[in-house]
Amino acid sequence: MIDLKELILSKDNLIPLLRKLKKDARLIAPIKNEYGDTLFSEIDDIDAMKIDLHNQPQASLKPFFLPQQETLAGYTVNNGEYSFTPPDKAQDTIFFGVRSCDLTALLYMDLIFSKPSKDATYYDRRNHSLIITLGCNQPFANCFCEATGSGPYLEYGYGLQFIDLGDRYFVSAGRGKGADLLKKWAYFFREVNEEDQKKRYQLFLEARGQFTRNIQVAHACQKLQEEAVPEEIWETLSRRCYDCGGCAYVCPTCTCYSIDDMAQGTNHGIRVRSWDACTSSGFTRMAGGHNPTDRSRYALKRRFLHKLKHDYAHHGKPSCTGCGRCVDICFGGVDITTFIDLLTTQKTT
Amino acid sequence: MNNNFIPSPAKICEIIHENEQISTFRLKLINTSIPFSFLPGQFLMLSVPHCGEAAISISSSPTALPIIDLSIRKAGTLTNAMHMMKAGNQVGIRGPYGNPFPMKNFVNRDLLFVAGGIGLAPLKSVIDYCLFHSNSVHDAAQSITLLYGSRSPSDIAFQSVTSNWQEQGVNCRLTVDEADTDWQGNVGLVTDLLPRHNVTDNTTALVCGPPVMIRFIIAQLSAMGCQDEAIFTTLERHMKCGVGTCGHCHLDGKMVCMDGPVFSLSQLKTMDVMELAQ
Amino acid sequence: MTNSIAELEGADVLLVTGSNTTETHPQIGRNIITAVDHGAKLIVIDPRKTDIAKEAHIHLALRPGTDIALINAMMRIILDENLADDLFISMRTENFIALRDYLHRLDLDELATITGINRTTIHEAACLYARSSKSVICYCLGVTQHTCGTDNVQAVANLAMLTGNVEKKHSGVDPLRGQNNVQGACDMAALPAVLSGYQNLADIDVRNRFLAVWGREVPKAPGLSLTEMTHAGINGTIKAMFIMGENPVLSDPHLNRVENTLKHLPFLAVSDIFLTETAKLAHVVFPAASFAEKSGTVTNSERRVQLCHQAIPPIRNCKPDSEIIMQLGRRLNCPGMDFDTEAEIMEEISLLTPIYGGMHYDRLAKNWGLQWPCWNRDHPGTKFLHKYYFARGKGCFTITEHQEPYENPEKKYPFTLVTGRGSYHHYHTATMTRKSRRLLREYPEALLEINKEDSDKLNLRDGETVELASRRGTVHIKTKITDRVQPGTVFSSFHFFEVPINLLTLDAMDPKSKCPELKICSVNLRKVKHD
Repeated sequence: MIDLKELILSKDNLIPLLRKLKKDARLIAPIKNEYGDTLFSEIDDIDAMKIDLHNQPQASLKPFFLPQQETLAGYTVNNGEYSFTPPDKAQDTIFFGVRSCDLTALLYMDLIFSKPSKDATYYDRRNHSLIITLGCNQPFANCFCEATGSGPYLEYGYGLQFIDLGDRYFVSAGRGKGADLLKKWAYFFREVNEEDQKKRYQLFLEARGQFTRNIQVAHACQKLQEEAVPEEIWETLSRRCYDCGGCAYVCPTCTCYSIDDMAQGTNHGIRVRSWDACTSSGFTRMAGGHNPTDRSRYALKRRFLHKLKHDYAHHGKPSCTGCGRCVDICFGGVDITTFIDLLTTQKTT
Repeated sequence: MNNNFIPSPAKICEIIHENEQISTFRLKLINTSIPFSFLPGQFLMLSVPHCGEAAISISSSPTALPIIDLSIRKAGTLTNAMHMMKAGNQVGIRGPYGNPFPMKNFVNRDLLFVAGGIGLAPLKSVIDYCLFHSNSVHDAAQSITLLYGSRSPSDIAFQSVTSNWQEQGVNCRLTVDEADTDWQGNVGLVTDLLPRHNVTDNTTALVCGPPVMIRFIIAQLSAMGCQDEAIFTTLERHMKCGVGTCGHCHLDGKMVCMDGPVFSLSQLKTMDVMELAQ
Repeated sequence: MTNSIAELEGADVLLVTGSNTTETHPQIGRNIITAVDHGAKLIVIDPRKTDIAKEAHIHLALRPGTDIALINAMMRIILDENLADDLFISMRTENFIALRDYLHRLDLDELATITGINRTTIHEAACLYARSSKSVICYCLGVTQHTCGTDNVQAVANLAMLTGNVEKKHSGVDPLRGQNNVQGACDMAALPAVLSGYQNLADIDVRNRFLAVWGREVPKAPGLSLTEMTHAGINGTIKAMFIMGENPVLSDPHLNRVENTLKHLPFLAVSDIFLTETAKLAHVVFPAASFAEKSGTVTNSERRVQLCHQAIPPIRNCKPDSEIIMQLGRRLNCPGMDFDTEAEIMEEISLLTPIYGGMHYDRLAKNWGLQWPCWNRDHPGTKFLHKYYFARGKGCFTITEHQEPYENPEKKYPFTLVTGRGSYHHYHTATMTRKSRRLLREYPEALLEINKEDSDKLNLRDGETVELASRRGTVHIKTKITDRVQPGTVFSSFHFFEVPINLLTLDAMDPKSKCPELKICSVNLRKVKHD
C-alpha cells in the first residue's frame, strides 16, 4: 500500500490528469491570453489553451469566491408586496496552479466570512472548490511572501500542493478532497523516493534565498502593536493616494464590499454585492454627508492598520500575503511596502 | 445554509408623523412564524424597494413585539423614499444586529438619558423597556431622567411619547436651541441642562445624538464624577452588511455593527473615535 | 509626445505645465512621481495647488493666462546665465537671433509682475530646467485652451530648443492627450486642414493618392473647426451634422450658442453609447457599441497604436462605429465601404498614411503595438521624435508675446473662473463615469473651489450654493473652500449637466488653432438665499 499523502507525478502525466479532473468539475488555471496577460480562467479546451505556470497570475483567486459583482438576491415589488429570491448555486470547481500567497489569502477569507454565521454565497462557492497549489521555486519581482509567512511553499490549507522538481511534480495532499483525488487517480502517480525528498528540500531552501525585496513585515507588525504611527507618515501616504481603489481590488485579502439594489424594471431588481475600497471617502460617508474619516490625512490608515495591526492582533499574523500586486498597481507609489519601509526605517523617538 | 442577506418582508401598519424630518414606522413581519426577538440598542437592516438597505435602530421596546418601530429621519435617498411609503406598503428587514445595552446592569440604578434629535430613537427602546418592568422587584430601575435637546420647538420628536413618560414618573427635561414665540420651556443646548442635574455613584448615563453632543456630554459627565463604566453611548456609522464583513463601520480594529453600536466610555477610550476627539 | 511615457522616469528635471497629471493622466503621473522618488526635480506651472503641484520642488502658481510672460522670463534668465545650448541652436534651429534680441528687450521685473510670481522663484526654476540635459516638459489643456494657445505651445517649444532639451531620450516636449484615442482621431485627420497622418490638404500629390484609393475627389479647402461648427448659429452654412461620441451641448464653450445652433439644424444625427444631452437634440440617434463590444486600435499619447479585442458581443442593436459609418456610406453610394474586418481597414490606413505605413494587425498583435512614425513593415516604430531633424527640417524660433486673457477681472465680474477636471473620478461630461455608482458616490455633484480669503469676504459657508455668473450665463453651484485655488480665482469642472459650467465660458478662439479660451473667463458670484 503506497502512502497517499505524498506522491510523484511525471510532467508527462499532468495534462492527462487534468483532463480526467475536468470531467467532474469546472477546471480553472492560469492561462496566458492573447495580450500576454496571465489570468485564472476556465479551461474549455485543455489542448488549445496555454496553461502558464511561469508568470504570476495578474489577479488572485478572490474574484472566484468574492466576485467583483455578484447577485445576492433578486427582488420583486408588486402592489406594495415585496419579496426576495435566492441567488444561483455554485458548481464544483478545481483550481490548478494557485500560488501559496493566494491560497493563504483564501484561508484568511474563510475566517472573515465564517462569522457570525457562514456567508451563504461565499461558502457555497468555497464548499464546491478544491485548490491545487504550485509552490514557488522562484519569487516574482515584487513578492515578499516569506516575510508574511505565506510562502514560498505551504504546510497546510491546500487540496493538493505541487512542487516543480524539473521533470516531475512532488505532490502533497491535504485533508479530505485532496487525498480522495490522489486515491482515485493513483495510477498517474508513483511513490516518493529519498532523492525526491532531498530535491524538494533543496529547492525550498533555494527559493527562500531568492527574494529581491526585503520587507520588514514582522518588525512593522510588532511596532504597530507597541506604538502609534507618526502623523507625518499618514500625511505623506495620503498626499499620494489618488483614491483609485486599485490596491484594494487586486489585493487577495481585501474583502470590503458594498451592497446595492439595482432596479431591472419598475417592479423588479437585484441586490448586488460589489467590491469596495476603504481608501475612498464615500466608503465611510453617512447619509446626510457627515464623514468620520478625514481622507486628506488618513486615506490609507485604515487599510494598513487593518492588515498589519488589527489582523495581527486578532489572528497572530498579518493579512498581507506578500503577493506584491499592489506594488504595481499603485499610481502614487504608496503601496503597503512603502508604508512598511517608512515605518521600520523611521527612528524610534 | 441561511442566506444572510435576504430580508424578511414586513408591513407598515402605521406611520406616526413626529416632525417635518422624522416619522416612526410601525412594522409587523408578514410571516409571523419567523422567530424574532431583540433587546434595546440593537438595530435592523431596512430594505426599501429599489433603494437598497440602511441600518436603523429599533425605537420600540421588545415588550411591544410583534410591533417593531423604526423612527427615521430624512437624510439620504433611502430614508427619503421611506418617507414616501404608505401604511400597508411592505419593506424588508433583517436582523437584529449589534450589541444591546446591558439591561441587567440598569436594575436599581438611577438612569440618566441624554439625547439630541433622532438620537432619542434607540434610547426610547430602553426607556419603554424599563417602564414595562417598573413594577417588577427584580428588574426595575431606581429612577429615570431624560434630558432631550432639539433644534427648535417644531423639531421636537416623540412629543406624545415624552408626555406619556412624564405621567409614568420619568423626569423629562426638554430644551431647544432656538425658541419661537410659543415656547415656554428651556432654551439652550442639552449640555446646559446637564449641570442642573445631580450625578451620584448610582447614576448610569445613556447618551445618543450628534457626535459633537456626545463628545461634550461625555466630558461633562466625567467631570461630574460619573464612572467610565456607567456611561454608555451608541455610535452611528455607515453600514452595509450588519454582520461584520463589509468593513464600512470598521473602527480601529472593531466593527461597530458587531462590537457595538453600544459602547461604554471605558471601551471607547481604548479606541480612536471621532466622538472623543479633542 | 515627442518622448515615450516610460522615458519620463529617467528624466532629471520635469517641467509640468497646465496639467493636473495625477488626476487626468494617473499612469503618466505615476511615472513622474517615480522620477521624483529617484531624485528628479519637479517644476509645476499651474495657478492651482493640484496634487502634482504639491509634489513639486518649485510650484509656479502663475496668474491664469500668463504662461508666455513666464516662459519668456525663464528664457531671458537662461540667456543671462549663459545656459543656452549654443551648439544645438546653431546646428538644429533657425531665427534664434530675432528671439534673442526680443528677449533682451524685455524687463524681467515687469514680466514677474504680470505672472504674479517673484523673480527669484522664476530664476530658480529657469536655472534648474536649463542646467540639466535630461529635462522634459509635459503640458496639457491648461496651455492650449487659451486665445493665445498656439503661442503658448510655441513658447514651450522655444524654451526646449533654447536649452537643447529635445531629440534625446528623457528629454522633449510632451503634450498629454485626453481620451484614450484622441491622438488616433487627430492622426486620422479629424482636423480641418490635414489628411490622415498630418498630410497637407493643399498638396496635390497627396490629394491624388486619396483620389486613386477612394475614387472620390478630396475637397481642396480646409473644413471648419469644432467651435466654428457648433457656433454657426441659426442661419449657418451647415445644414446637417453627424456627431460621434461627443457631447458639445455640455463640453463646448458658450453653451447657449451651441444649443441654439444644434436645435436649429435641419438635420442632426448623433452616435453615442448613451443618450447624451446632445443626442437628445438629434433627429436620428445611432446606438454605438462601447470599446468592450468591438475590436480595433487606439493610439495613445506616446503615439503608440494598440490593438483592442472585443470582449463581449454588442448589446442589443448597438453597432461599432465603423459599421455605422460603412452602412451610412453605402447608402450614400460611397464606394469602398465594404471592409470585412478591422484589419482590412487598417491596411487602407497604412496605404494612405505614411507614418502608419508599417502598422499591420499581425505586427500590432505582438507586444504592445507600435509607435509612429513607422514607415514600413520592417520599421520598428519610433520611441522619441525629432532625432537628427525636426519634421520641418530646422526648428524655428518664433517670438511669442504676452497677451492679456480675452476677459480680465473687473468690477462687475471680479473673479477669474478656471475650468478643468474636477476629480480623478469623473471624465469629460461624465456621460460614462456617472453610470458607475462608486464613481458617482466619490464625487456626487459639481463643486466650485474657492479660497478662504474670498469666501470670508462674501460670507460663504463651505458647501453653500452660490450663483455664478459671467457675461454669457448663470449657474448655481455648491462651494468648496480650499487652498487649492488662489484668492481671486475660482475653479470648477464641467462634469455635471445640472451645472453646465460652459454656459459661462468664452468662445473667443485662438486665431490659429481655433481652440476656444475654455480655461478662463471672468465671473461674479453671489450668495443664494436658499440652499
